Amino acid sequence: MLMKQMLALRAWMMLLVCMLMASVGAMAQKTVTGKVTDVKGGTWIPGASITLKGGLVGTSTDNEGNFTLNIPADGKTLVISAVGYGTREVTIDGTDFSQAITLATAQNDLNEVVVIGYGTARKKDITGSVASVKEKDFNKGVLPAPDQLIQGKVAGVQVVNNSGAPGAGTTFRIRGASSLRAGNGPLFVVDGVQLSNTEARPGIDLTGLGSTPGGNPLNFINTADISSMEVLKDASAAAIYGSRGANGVVLITTKRGLSGLPKVDVSASVGVANMLRSIDVLSGDQYRTALGEFGFPTGVNSPQTPSANFGGNENAMDAITRTGIVQNYNVGFSSGNENARYRLSLGYMDQEGILKKSDFKKFTAGINSSFKLLPNRKLGLDVNLLTSQTRENIAPISNNAGFLGSIIGQALQWNPTRSLKRADGTFDVEQGGSIINPLAYSDAYNDQTNITTILGTIAPSYKITKGLEAKSQVSVTYSVGKREQFTTGAINIENVQWDANGKGGEANVANNELSTFQITNTLSYNSDLGSKWSLNAVLGHEYLKNDFGGNSMYARGFPRIEGKPLHYFMAASDPSTRRTRGFQDPTSELQSFFGRAILNFDNRFVFTGTIRSDGSSKFGENNRYGTFPSLAGAWNIDKEGFMEGNNFISSLRLRASWGVTGNQDFPSGASQILYVLDGGNPANFAQSQIANPDLKWESTTTTNIGLDFGFFSNRLTGNIDWFNRSTSDILFPREAADPVPPTSSIRWSNIDGTIVNTGFEFTLNYKIIQGNKLNWDFGVNATFLNNELKDFVGEIPTGEVNGQGLSGAFAQLIKTGQPINSFYLKKFIGIDKQTGVSLYEGGESKFFVGSPNPEMLLGFTTMVSYGKLSFELAGNGAFGQYIYNNTTNAVLAFNNLGKRNIGLSEYEVAKSLGEKPVNPTSASTRYLEKGDFFRLANATLSYSLGNVGKAIRGATVFVNCQNLALFTNFTGFDPEVNVSKPLNGVPSFGMEYTPYPPARTINFGINFSL
Amino acid sequence: MKRIFILTLTVMTFAGCSKLDEQLGSQLSTGGGAGGAVSPAQILSGTYDAMRLPWQDQSRVWAAQEHTTDEVIGPTRAGDWDDNGVWRVMHSHQWDPNHAFLADTYRDLGRIVFSASDLLRFSPTPQQAAEGRMLRAMANFFLVEGWDQVPYRENTADPLEVPKVRKGVEVIDYIISELNAIIPALPDGPVNRCNKNAARVLLMKCYLTKGVMANRAAPTFAAADMNQVIALANTIMAGSYTLTPNFFDNFAPTNNVISTENIWTAENIGGSSSGNVRSRWMLGLHYNQNPSGWNGFTTLSDFYNKFAAGDKRRGGEPYPGMTNVAGIRPGFLVGQQVDQNGVALKDRTGAPLSFTPQVKLTETGSNLEVTGIRVVKYPIDYTGGDNANNDYVYFRLADVMLMKAEAILRGGTDPQTPLQLVNLVRARSSATALGSVTLDVLLDERGRELYWEGYRRMDMIRFGKYLQPWQEKSASDPKVLIFPIPARSLAANPNLSQNPGY
Repeated sequence: MLMKQMLALRAWMMLLVCMLMASVGAMAQKTVTGKVTDVKGGTWIPGASITLKGGLVGTSTDNEGNFTLNIPADGKTLVISAVGYGTREVTIDGTDFSQAITLATAQNDLNEVVVIGYGTARKKDITGSVASVKEKDFNKGVLPAPDQLIQGKVAGVQVVNNSGAPGAGTTFRIRGASSLRAGNGPLFVVDGVQLSNTEARPGIDLTGLGSTPGGNPLNFINTADISSMEVLKDASAAAIYGSRGANGVVLITTKRGLSGLPKVDVSASVGVANMLRSIDVLSGDQYRTALGEFGFPTGVNSPQTPSANFGGNENAMDAITRTGIVQNYNVGFSSGNENARYRLSLGYMDQEGILKKSDFKKFTAGINSSFKLLPNRKLGLDVNLLTSQTRENIAPISNNAGFLGSIIGQALQWNPTRSLKRADGTFDVEQGGSIINPLAYSDAYNDQTNITTILGTIAPSYKITKGLEAKSQVSVTYSVGKREQFTTGAINIENVQWDANGKGGEANVANNELSTFQITNTLSYNSDLGSKWSLNAVLGHEYLKNDFGGNSMYARGFPRIEGKPLHYFMAASDPSTRRTRGFQDPTSELQSFFGRAILNFDNRFVFTGTIRSDGSSKFGENNRYGTFPSLAGAWNIDKEGFMEGNNFISSLRLRASWGVTGNQDFPSGASQILYVLDGGNPANFAQSQIANPDLKWESTTTTNIGLDFGFFSNRLTGNIDWFNRSTSDILFPREAADPVPPTSSIRWSNIDGTIVNTGFEFTLNYKIIQGNKLNWDFGVNATFLNNELKDFVGEIPTGEVNGQGLSGAFAQLIKTGQPINSFYLKKFIGIDKQTGVSLYEGGESKFFVGSPNPEMLLGFTTMVSYGKLSFELAGNGAFGQYIYNNTTNAVLAFNNLGKRNIGLSEYEVAKSLGEKPVNPTSASTRYLEKGDFFRLANATLSYSLGNVGKAIRGATVFVNCQNLALFTNFTGFDPEVNVSKPLNGVPSFGMEYTPYPPARTINFGINFSL
Repeated sequence: MKRIFILTLTVMTFAGCSKLDEQLGSQLSTGGGAGGAVSPAQILSGTYDAMRLPWQDQSRVWAAQEHTTDEVIGPTRAGDWDDNGVWRVMHSHQWDPNHAFLADTYRDLGRIVFSASDLLRFSPTPQQAAEGRMLRAMANFFLVEGWDQVPYRENTADPLEVPKVRKGVEVIDYIISELNAIIPALPDGPVNRCNKNAARVLLMKCYLTKGVMANRAAPTFAAADMNQVIALANTIMAGSYTLTPNFFDNFAPTNNVISTENIWTAENIGGSSSGNVRSRWMLGLHYNQNPSGWNGFTTLSDFYNKFAAGDKRRGGEPYPGMTNVAGIRPGFLVGQQVDQNGVALKDRTGAPLSFTPQVKLTETGSNLEVTGIRVVKYPIDYTGGDNANNDYVYFRLADVMLMKAEAILRGGTDPQTPLQLVNLVRARSSATALGSVTLDVLLDERGRELYWEGYRRMDMIRFGKYLQPWQEKSASDPKVLIFPIPARSLAANPNLSQNPGY
């Protein structure tokens, strides 16, 4: 017994000795301590990296700039660096550096390296309009998708939430909309891997409710893994992405492993989410009063005396909402030396929605690794793998619900005198009829989607000579989405409710699979050419392949099965209701050749020339390749002799660029003659599309003139940009000439007309106070936008208005001389006192009455820190745009009185105008509202605990609030919402219809390192 | 190493080079890729399916032929049925080239023309080709009746072809030549597929309409054409058709079995595959009836008053499978409605569910839920869900008999008299025999027999009544005799020109 223990102990001792031997620290050691501060003002620099030159040890400073490092006794030089500062080497002649090692700010930020397409460039060599947002400037809180990190942070960028649901998609526009039918979103690139804007999440149509909104295709990325995002706004920056650069490009760079000792970064937060704003509808008592005022029976409803007064008081919106618990945990583990660096990350996010039975969970795991191989270390190898799964429970909300409404509409219009539950505790559900109990529906409805994504990249590179490097990057993105939805027969939706034989319910099961293969080969050269010239150039070839397909099944008429998902029992459904589908989109291939040269002369003049030739299988056979050139120049005025001795202006540069970019965001197969095979026996075979062999990309010509400046030693920095984007060859699925094929009548075409977006952008950052303890930074950005469609023949309606009595109604018309998606409506001029019915200018005539596109976007960020305490506040706003409130029009309208609940303001307006409940529901300017808003979007108060004990370093606790306050006159849930209301597939903008309401979230969290 | 790497890179670059030929997935091209999966039978089946939306939905041919007449009105009822004014402008003859439903009808009828023409490229059998051409002829007939100009493609596979246009009488002549050419290849039955007698009925309609197409405001009818109508009618009537004893059986869920009168129908398979035939009852029934309807369209009191008491076509008789299930009796629904137990129903405000004869384009009274007489001509299928089993009726014997009577009145000759023919049709529904028949009486009789079957507009134009005022409509501009060419169709085809007056 004793022997065994002794042996075990000895084995442990041996192991320990081995480990100590292996460790550098096992040799003769000394401990170095010190403090790193800013050369100006002496402020502490937290997070500065301290490494031993040529060794494997390193550490970083805590929040007060202190560090302690054990190094071998023979260690001679420390290398100190920090983000935003230069790098300094310090010779070790003692062990105490408490006199402080000072670091100078990297020269006016312009030496900073910025990620651009297919490479990096020094900030001073950037001639285009590129906005770079680093991690420290991201929006804080629980944000599932990367696009939300920079909401309100970048001039010219508008990010609008399509819904308040956790994990919901956004509408992302850079410098306005330039397309009628092709997408208006930018190209997203993650570490050089280009994402398709498709998501694997299957869409479903719900019986009686219409189509459900999509999710965010970027959800698979763990936002905690992102170190920076670059927005390429003009053609000089985006032309390297050719036929996909017209809407701008967003480059996402993930965190890399750093040289030094292993480091573990941990962050954890827990929060609560509540409804930001509610819509006022009548209470039970108000409703009874209103019934009496407008001549409805007011006695309590009974079979003998039917009445809309059920005698109770119920708030249906309260019944379907809740306080959501939001959790977010991230662990990053990084280490490395000169030959190998890596970073591992794990993330878990769990966001409960504020609507019952809705949530969003995300699991992520990733590894970024970088190796230098061969004795001469000229062969590099980067291997990255990103895996994630999102799991969503989705609430029954659709974009285009008709008379049944979606759950939000059902709750808003639920008769407030009627209890949702009967006395016996069961839900008050009618047999048939069109009044749906929202709580019963929430109970009966189940909808889960899982999306699993893997993004793998392997990228060998070889340094051929000094400055010349060849690189090949091969990546695969693979995403599968599975959706399982069922509604039990406990809800009175036609064909779903249990029938007399006890059969009912419906179930959907759908699977989609998305894969992208990309290979990029580049040859880059980056070197001084002598006599004041330097060159940063890249030549490349790229091939991309996209595949998307899926299948689904649907059935109704299940036997009554309690407590189990109906889709487990597909085989027990009514065979005549079963539908199965499969689809596989045409493979889309893109092949490109590109090149770019950035030439710098004497740091005074910089020229950039870019060209890309894109061939796409989607283009018609007569237009397989398109070429996209760009030219740009910059003049660093501050480097001129005449600026010397100037104490006022610390940096000044003028930029100008011109270029052509394309947009090819249209469906694959669009140029071909297509037939579809569908149901029937024999299966129907019908032509679905007329070919267009001339089909090609949309072409956007952009001119940009910008000025970057810094005053007072760069305490005040900023830039001004003027741009003009002119888009021609507008892609549109034009109505083909009659007669047209049976299943579709479109023919994708490049139609005449020009979409012009012009505007100014301003960005200002001011370090108001720079002190030892007190610091105050303020940043603001503003964008002025103008959008117009010119020389366009025809009129295209869009912006479908849905709801009872609103079939065929639309709110927007695309027409020459107007901004895209302009509202086109009957003008409401009041109520006829005699009949109590609405009056419209010119009867049924319609007019252009406003644009959904903002005239001005505004964003600001401010950060105040005092010692260990810091406070950060960010806000954003948009002004000059209109929103069509389809919710009020269809759900809250006064004529619902006596049948359903109505809006409080609708009731008050009706009383003051003498409106009668017989007034028809009609789409008009009555429901068009100004969408101006300003939002305090994000506030964070944090306190630095510094090092806690021996293990925990740099601990910070924080409280964060997302959606702190909203200032607007808009009467819906949120003016920053864009419910997709297309008509014939033409996208709308600026429409609101019973969306998932946005939440206000308060998070409490801690970050620390080990 | 360096060389190896560069070589590898070069190889990868060229290996990656693609010709960019697009590979189709679940969609098919006409080329080799489609393989043997394509048969002309499949395209023909698609063409039959393309008939469903235009005829069976409430917003296409039926709306164009009925809402614009004295038989149907779509009143706006407070929060219901405003629908951007589409129904009001139909009844009041105020449509314009952007009217959504008229434009969609024009397009959807064109789809049948396209699909049938496409079929002919795929080596169909003579019978398949004849069926396709019959469907195309039917679509052409309704296109020319509504819009006068009918575009067509010579080659449906040519992406650059600008469709040519036939107009007016030219279209009628084309349809007549088509039908005469295909009748030998058409089968004798069944009634829910294209058949010889169905083609003959369409031929009758062409001969009857030819003079209208030449001059819509003042049609003239050639005796030769009328004798063609009579000859065709006699051929059809010599067949095995008889007037179905119960008028409503022609439209019943099992009409494919129990009707002895239908000549051409569209097959609907209950529970699985149907057009929107259920809209025929859904659009009028009140929310509180079974099924819970859409509480929309009604007929007008003047039209209802054309019926004499005792005429079974007016309704009031119980119907098995319907009255015992939900209390509803086929025909016209007026007055207090009851459930299957005879218990009086109430509307959503608690007032009695009692349909009034009076109805207005925009209802502003407190009884707006119950105004207007509802019509249920197709007995309700309570088992098929949104896929009702009732086959949709295009042509039936009574129409043939009334057209024959009309042809005689308009100058044709036959041993039978119009009065005999009309009274035969009336007798089936216990309507008292008439003493004489004039054109005006015949138009009314066509209304009583064929109400809500989708022919009223062409009847009223042919009888010269379409421009006259009627309930909730004043006298019309003669331009409405032809619908406007839809704006989007006009923009896509330079060979079309806008019809006069629009």
